[in-house]
Amino acid sequence: MNNKHSERMGDFKKMVGEPFLLVSIIVVFYLLIVFVIFPIYKVVKTSFVYDGHVSFRNYAEVLSHDYYIRPLWNSMILGLLVATIGTVIGFVFAYAITRTPMKGKTVFRLVATFPMVSPPFVVALACILLFGRAGIFKGAIGNIYGLTGLTIVEVIAYSPTAFLSLFGILQSIDPALEEAAMVCGASRGKVFRSIILPLATPGVVSAWLLVFIQSLADFGNPMILSGNFSVLSVQAYLQITGMNDLARGSTLAILLLIPTLLAFYTQKYLVSKKSFVTVTGKPTASTIKNLEWYVKLPVYVVCVFFAGVVVLFYGMVVWGSFQRLWGIDKTFTLQNYVQMWAVGKDYIRDSLIIAAIVTPICGLLSMFIAYLVTRKRFFGRGLMEFSAMLTFAVPGTVVGIGYILAFNTSSALMPVTLTGTATIIIALLIFRNLPVGIRNGIAALQQIDPSIEEASIDCGANSGTTFWRITLPMITPALFSGLANSFVRSMTAISAVIFVVSGGWNLITVAILGFVDNSQYAQAAAMSILLIAIVLIALFLMQLATDRVGKGMKVGLMEGEQS
Amino acid sequence: MKKTDYLLLKELTKVFGEGKSAFTAVDHVSLTVQEGDLVTLLGPSGCGKTTTLRMIAGFNTPTSGEVLIDDVRMNDIPPNKRPTAMVFQNYALFPHMTVFENIAYGLEIEKLPKEEIRRKVDALMHQISLDGLGNRQPRQLSGGQQQRVSLARAMILEPKVLLFDEPLSNLDAKLRMSTRLEIRKLQQRVGITSVYVTHDQEEAMTLSDKVVIMDRGTIQQIGTPSEIYSHPKNRFVADFIGKANLLEAKVVDMTNDAFSVEFSGKRITAPRWNKEIKVGDDVTVVVRPEAVIIQPKGNNDLLDGVITNAVYFGSQMLYEIQIPNKQILQIEVADPQYQPQFPQGSKVSIAFKNRSLHVLPWEQGGNV
Repeated sequence: MNNKHSERMGDFKKMVGEPFLLVSIIVVFYLLIVFVIFPIYKVVKTSFVYDGHVSFRNYAEVLSHDYYIRPLWNSMILGLLVATIGTVIGFVFAYAITRTPMKGKTVFRLVATFPMVSPPFVVALACILLFGRAGIFKGAIGNIYGLTGLTIVEVIAYSPTAFLSLFGILQSIDPALEEAAMVCGASRGKVFRSIILPLATPGVVSAWLLVFIQSLADFGNPMILSGNFSVLSVQAYLQITGMNDLARGSTLAILLLIPTLLAFYTQKYLVSKKSFVTVTGKPTASTIKNLEWYVKLPVYVVCVFFAGVVVLFYGMVVWGSFQRLWGIDKTFTLQNYVQMWAVGKDYIRDSLIIAAIVTPICGLLSMFIAYLVTRKRFFGRGLMEFSAMLTFAVPGTVVGIGYILAFNTSSALMPVTLTGTATIIIALLIFRNLPVGIRNGIAALQQIDPSIEEASIDCGANSGTTFWRITLPMITPALFSGLANSFVRSMTAISAVIFVVSGGWNLITVAILGFVDNSQYAQAAAMSILLIAIVLIALFLMQLATDRVGKGMKVGLMEGEQS
Repeated sequence: MKKTDYLLLKELTKVFGEGKSAFTAVDHVSLTVQEGDLVTLLGPSGCGKTTTLRMIAGFNTPTSGEVLIDDVRMNDIPPNKRPTAMVFQNYALFPHMTVFENIAYGLEIEKLPKEEIRRKVDALMHQISLDGLGNRQPRQLSGGQQQRVSLARAMILEPKVLLFDEPLSNLDAKLRMSTRLEIRKLQQRVGITSVYVTHDQEEAMTLSDKVVIMDRGTIQQIGTPSEIYSHPKNRFVADFIGKANLLEAKVVDMTNDAFSVEFSGKRITAPRWNKEIKVGDDVTVVVRPEAVIIQPKGNNDLLDGVITNAVYFGSQMLYEIQIPNKQILQIEVADPQYQPQFPQGSKVSIAFKNRSLHVLPWEQGGNV
């Protein structure tokens, strides 16, 4: 006991001896408390306050009105459907790419992950263009405003998540296991049932939960397509912006938060539990060459069909953006772009400025936090990781409401009112996009032998210099993918930022939603295309930069990997 | 029991890729393995040994040629229907099954009754000292134990041919040695026909009835370990197996069973194995490190040398000796404490243990 105590004291004294480290830990904690914990705390608190007293009245009222319970069930049903269908499609895609000799895998991967770089609600817009009142397949799937339409749209938007997660899982299952099963006499079907499926099960469940979370948290698609099928995220938004009822809005937000957090931590638990997946030394791909047709055929059909649907949906947006009047006048025109530009150029400028500020701060901060939590020992390290990763699990609607509640007035933690400023949007986006960067950073750091950094400290550098000169250059690929992710999400986010945008500062996504609201589908399409183009160009430039920087990095990383 | 040809490879060829990027991994490999024998495919990485093994297992389809096991053509039979089983380099144990379930996997596919599976698995586990480990997860076992489970999973099927894909390369040196002996004993006791792939020559020498040396997709030599060591067919084999000093010489005379070759103005006598070499031919003389006797300088008929390095290893002494053509010979002397020792810089005369020399035809651009 005593030893433990003196060891902790030793750690603490070492930290005091490094003022930079101590100060930066305190600053990071302050930021996380203000911009992550505080807003969520405010939502929880507001949901428990009725007439100035702490009570369960808000919950009692919400849970006794069908008007409020319905969205809860609707969200759940939608989540179940989307997660299940999305995981099946994601699995088939991952299987096709890792385990079949399918032609054009690069193209399929590109198409399958494309929805991730576009704002999710662009799919909803495409759905209206295709199946809506003026759509080319009008009525083909009945009324699109409701469960059917939402399911289709969210499956397209969120299967990529399942695909990426399952792709990683299936890729890491050593093909030698399948070969071992085959030399033991197992048929292709038996190998699948007795080897691949059991090994992939934790991954499948975890992919399912991720898609479930995304569907629950989705705001843009239901905002456009829900019709009479109201869901929690939209209902909470309407309570606050429409009825100005902060208490009920917060209560609904908490009802949305609970299943999301449950799903998130179940998923985390599954992933953290020592998984069976073995990392292979030499991947051999030869077994897949002899795959039987009855395996290939259905897999290919699903892939081609889904890829076709994705192309059809996005193609529709492109096509729609060049038509004079959707469904009526098919004349080619650029007028939608002209109109869109006239109305939207301020939104575009604001979006770009904000993303340009958010991206580097978010990228560096996420790498620094990753460095602190993996490499440094200090009191509250676990808490730092937990709070930094929290926004990943919390639906945007909850965060948005939290920011309104927390920053409408000044407080002890934040002496100035942030509402209406660019700062609140920037802060929201930074802290919402941190988790992905941190996760990348931690993964990269775990690949690198800490003795490299110890050598730097041995040579007399402090933690700050070591991070800047040694650690950061070694995890450049993680930094760049963090930057890319932060930029894409800053440009395409809607659910949380819609609460904090203002006359002074507004965003493209909000503008697109406004066009859709006014049934100006062609202008909405034109603006979506512009947004996707900006994102793709930015990603391309970042890829170029990564390749260039990456070449110098290779040696260091490879040496790190061997340890 | 008379041994019969059991596994036959006929002109087996595997080309990966097409057109310009085509790469011939295995080039017309023909081989017969007799029942109960253990044959090693030995060669540097990329020599085609693993590809050959995988064609026997059925994971790679031959571009041309045939695989026959017990007179049955295997080419069109999928891996799960072949009478082969394989021990993998990284063991490839099913991580979600217990040790027992791993070993029983193939028997369950054969739909054997439960009691019979239990009986067979227990017996085999006892035989290879895995008693009591049946309920463990593979990751709870040591590397050596995992390797034995992998072996058991393959052996329980009583395959006609057992295939080993570098099964010891993930073990540490000591364990590798003991496991090697165990595998050999077990293989001989059960009498199971085996093909064993390795790049470790010591492993190949100690395990095999026959060693097949491969390089760049072709077989360089097939023979027993001692044949391969003492009578290598070409420079590649001589250099790949054991250490070898290669001397470029010319045949000046020969009798029925000996060559007399000239090297650096001196005459060396060596046994005549190769009947195609004639007087006047350029040849390469293979001098194994132990085939040399070092003497104090004096005898003018012998090759002169200067000791450039002398390293004591306990059981032997390693000398590096520079000879007149500037070549450095590496020489090992056994039991050094009972021999005269030569410090660095000593001038010496070099005599050869003539029966241990081996004469090869000269090879254009032979790479050493």
